[in-house]
Amino acid sequence: MLLSQLLINGLVTGCILGLIAISWALIYSTAGIFHVAHAGIYTLGGYLAWSLVTHGVPTLPAFIIAIAICALVGAAIQTQLYNRLADRQATPLVILVASLGTLAIIQNTIAMIYTTNILQFPLGWNRAVIGIANNSIRLSYPQILTLFAGAALCLGTICFTRYTGLGKRIRAVANNPFLADITRLRPRQTYTYVMAIASGMVGLCGILVSLDFGLQPYNGVLPLMTATVAVFAGGIGSTLGAFAVALILSVLENLALLVMPGEWGVAIAFGIFIVFMLFLPTGLSSLYSRR
Amino acid sequence: MDFLFSYLVLALIYVLVGLSTNLLVGIVGIFSISQAAVFGVGAYIFANLTMAATSMPFILALAIAGGACVLLNIVVSLPSLRVSGDYFVVTSFGIQLVASAVFVNWVSGTGGANGLPGIPAPEFFGFALDTPPRYVVVAGLATGLGCLAFWLMMRSPFGRLLRAIREDEIAIAAVGKQVLGAKVAAAALAGGFGGVAGGIFAAFMSFIDPYSFDLDASILLLSMVVIGGTRTLAGSIVGPFVMLALPQILTMIDIPSTMAAPARQFAYGVLLIVFMLYRPQGLVGERL
Repeated sequence: MLLSQLLINGLVTGCILGLIAISWALIYSTAGIFHVAHAGIYTLGGYLAWSLVTHGVPTLPAFIIAIAICALVGAAIQTQLYNRLADRQATPLVILVASLGTLAIIQNTIAMIYTTNILQFPLGWNRAVIGIANNSIRLSYPQILTLFAGAALCLGTICFTRYTGLGKRIRAVANNPFLADITRLRPRQTYTYVMAIASGMVGLCGILVSLDFGLQPYNGVLPLMTATVAVFAGGIGSTLGAFAVALILSVLENLALLVMPGEWGVAIAFGIFIVFMLFLPTGLSSLYSRR
Repeated sequence: MDFLFSYLVLALIYVLVGLSTNLLVGIVGIFSISQAAVFGVGAYIFANLTMAATSMPFILALAIAGGACVLLNIVVSLPSLRVSGDYFVVTSFGIQLVASAVFVNWVSGTGGANGLPGIPAPEFFGFALDTPPRYVVVAGLATGLGCLAFWLMMRSPFGRLLRAIREDEIAIAAVGKQVLGAKVAAAALAGGFGGVAGGIFAAFMSFIDPYSFDLDASILLLSMVVIGGTRTLAGSIVGPFVMLALPQILTMIDIPSTMAAPARQFAYGVLLIVFMLYRPQGLVGERL
């Protein structure tokens, strides 16, 4: 039954990776920014929720406030940093370096306030476990929550970008910012909305992961980079593709535990990335779309 | 006095790694965050070669470390540069994270998190270069040669080709130049600089651990080059000297020792943003 347990663990982590991938891809495909600081927002979400909960705020409001603050921080990065850089005609390289600087600031501010020790949520219910099939598969409450959140938000994002006004506007701006500007879709404002939505999503991911594994200030980069692998391998602009590749990556990483120690999981993700670059450079979506 | 000399040696070594970062990020315009990993691979290969039962001579071990990093950079840059710049960003992060995992977990080859102690200092004709004032000669010579090579390369047709690629890749491809070949060659050269610098670093420190070659180290290297100034030789020389002096200033501010490392990284982050916003050309560089 180890196999099915690993499969389930892989799917749960895959949901998280998938959500990080979707939210990052939203920024990357709309504003064209390689937003490394996203990893910082991910970490920030968990720490904000932890602070609120330990100061006696009830769980659900604490999570909502943490997500809202993450969204605000994301919007602030867009308006205060990326927009200013765009005003100065900065090259993508300059924006990337600035984003890396933002990541360093967020991570190290957290490290200075909370130290680098692992922190656990003092909740109780996040340690509770239910057993399925005569206790052969064990699922913790945060894991179940993650599975539901992953499925709901993935479908939600697809519906949002297809059917709502703002979603259509985001796709229009992503497709042609110049034309969108002429038709008064205001790309700058759209980018800010995108950053806020994506940052909120990644903040939630940070909270869900930290419920299960605790908090550390520098743990955001690895999931973000695995998620970017999923974005490129899934095909840029394909929400479902990115989510699917994230699930596959994470399941493979977990199944690999059967044959090798867990420290090498990172090598698997990038090994798969290299295979994709060599054989399917435009990603998984090129298989089923005829663009 | 020794303190001043070890600052000098370290700054000189970082100038050499800085040249490799500058070559990729500044001159060709491909973002690389894996320079510390390459630096580390060079250091670990050098350490293993010189600490083996039949100890290898300093120069030969240095050459092998450099050569291995050239190969490493060719192998990893070839697939990603074929596709697009952003794929190289992911690859570059990937190399850094995989290399860090290898440095920490491959205990028999790297000593794991405890590091590798007892790397011998170089000896020439029975004269051991084991103190910082003596080692300045080695570091100065290597970095001087590196700077000369960089300067000559920048004036050569190859250097002009690299800078032209950065300006307009498609136009260069249209006039029949091998864009991919030139980029991979630049990556290979950057690997060589990084690997040799790693070997010199290992011999100087006589002890290496994974924390000298992690993502933070890569960010530090990038800050050195970006703040010193990209695309010029002077920038790569100024950057390391300024950025290595900065922690000394931070020690004057009274902060608890557990906060020292995050505070330093925080300062690098602030500097990166401020420079990108108000002076993207760095102290003495050209516009990035």
